[in-house]
Amino acid sequence: MKRLAFVLVALALLAPDVFAQARNPFSVGISEGGGAATGLTGWILAQQQHFDVLMREAVRAIRTDASAFWSLVGLAFAYGVFHAAGPGHGKAVLAAYLVANERALKRGLVMAALAALLQALVAIALVLGLTTLLGLTARHLRDAAQWVEIASYAAIALVGVALVWRKGKAFLGEWRSKPQVASRFICDAGDDPAHVHGPNCGHVHMPDPAALGGGAFDWRGAAGTVIAAGLRPCSGAILVLVFAAAQGIVLAGVAATFAMAVGTALTTGAIAAASVYAKAQASRFATLRTQGAARLLSGLEFVAALAVLLLGVGLLMGA
Amino acid sequence: MKRIIRATLAILALALASPALAHPHVFVVVNSEIIFDAQGRISGISQSWTFDDMYSSFVTTGASEDGKPVTREKLQPLAEQNVSDLAEFSYFTIVKVPGQKIEFAKPQAISMREDDKKLVTLTFTLPLKNPVKADKAFTLQVYDPTYFVSFDFAKDGVAMKGAPSGCSLSMSQPKPLDNSEAQRFNEAFFSGLSPGADFGIKLASRATVACP
Repeated sequence: MKRLAFVLVALALLAPDVFAQARNPFSVGISEGGGAATGLTGWILAQQQHFDVLMREAVRAIRTDASAFWSLVGLAFAYGVFHAAGPGHGKAVLAAYLVANERALKRGLVMAALAALLQALVAIALVLGLTTLLGLTARHLRDAAQWVEIASYAAIALVGVALVWRKGKAFLGEWRSKPQVASRFICDAGDDPAHVHGPNCGHVHMPDPAALGGGAFDWRGAAGTVIAAGLRPCSGAILVLVFAAAQGIVLAGVAATFAMAVGTALTTGAIAAASVYAKAQASRFATLRTQGAARLLSGLEFVAALAVLLLGVGLLMGA
Repeated sequence: MKRIIRATLAILALALASPALAHPHVFVVVNSEIIFDAQGRISGISQSWTFDDMYSSFVTTGASEDGKPVTREKLQPLAEQNVSDLAEFSYFTIVKVPGQKIEFAKPQAISMREDDKKLVTLTFTLPLKNPVKADKAFTLQVYDPTYFVSFDFAKDGVAMKGAPSGCSLSMSQPKPLDNSEAQRFNEAFFSGLSPGADFGIKLASRATVACP
């Protein structure tokens, strides 16, 4: 069940995003998805639009009314919350990674927060570094943003390679493993033949921790996932920064960008928590597995890892 | 078991409800001119797109000197780039004549300028490969189907140039999204069906030219 949950979560999060790749002629270098606005998305979209418009007004107002600064920060926070509620491949990779590897809620939340912080820092570095410090123009900014986007796709592909490697090994291991006693589950106290557990004994049959990378904290995988999820800045942040800089209130733009990151972290943190929670729930039912199911799920898990890899490669080729 | 299902469904709902997400980051006020040739046929569309102040500041960032508007020469490379990128999106310009497929030739008269309010305007002309008679309804819409860019015609933003006498121009506005529409989105979400809304198209006004 755990694995099935992983597969479902990973595929569901990844699938819709593949179609969102045309780069608009008036983009700021970052591809924003486009297309039909349906269902919940329609509502999220309307909220973003609402906060975006108010945020612009706040930037305009700051020069004459210093108190508008606090509205800007609050609005940027709200914008971040809603903007992050859409499907980003960054978030998809984060969720997939967490369901596959992470058991600690706290670490999942830290990763979500770091990804959001990275996203803010990249936007600030791009805009302030290139235009304010180096005096480059919009075309350079666009080109640089495109390269950052390509790098983020490469990071997704690398996380995909790592997942495929591990899940592939686990899959092969599962396939080669000897059949287990079908309906009975023999535990550590194996010398005592009377000690036999029924299916509801509460023991969790975990996959080999080494194969899952779950033994020690896999900081490289986690760092890679944070980079894959957070490297690509959002167009909204870039535009607010550029606009604030043009009005001579660049620091207000920086504050707004960080406020946006806090909002983003809140939403991605919720997604991270849901991922970790889904995994924890699923683990409790792992004792019901039979070997055939284990093989099937292991195979599906491998397919899901492959999907992360293909997403990265596909995004790279489309870039 | 119920709890896993619930947790998984919650995440699935987040994902499946969202095909591809964009909300407008760029707002454009459109002035279009429908150009007629000497035979009274429509031969091209001239576009003049004025960007909102935020996107305008993006366009001119790093290019302005001592607070004066950026020169056309400096903006020219970006203008050319924009228009060549627009080709893939058929210039966000949708013209229709019943029973005929309309194609654009290479865009002409491409330029970009910044006005004294710091707003940037992109202008270009799209010649029709084959000029068409407008005795059947000729319609013009400007929209970005992905809704990354929100296009709106200016008041009296569509004009005819060199039209034979008797040609008329009318505009039809889309109905703004109302509560019942929002309601429909809601129901569609819970029933898992798409209402098939496409914001860019849904919100685009339509100009119709009819000639005798």
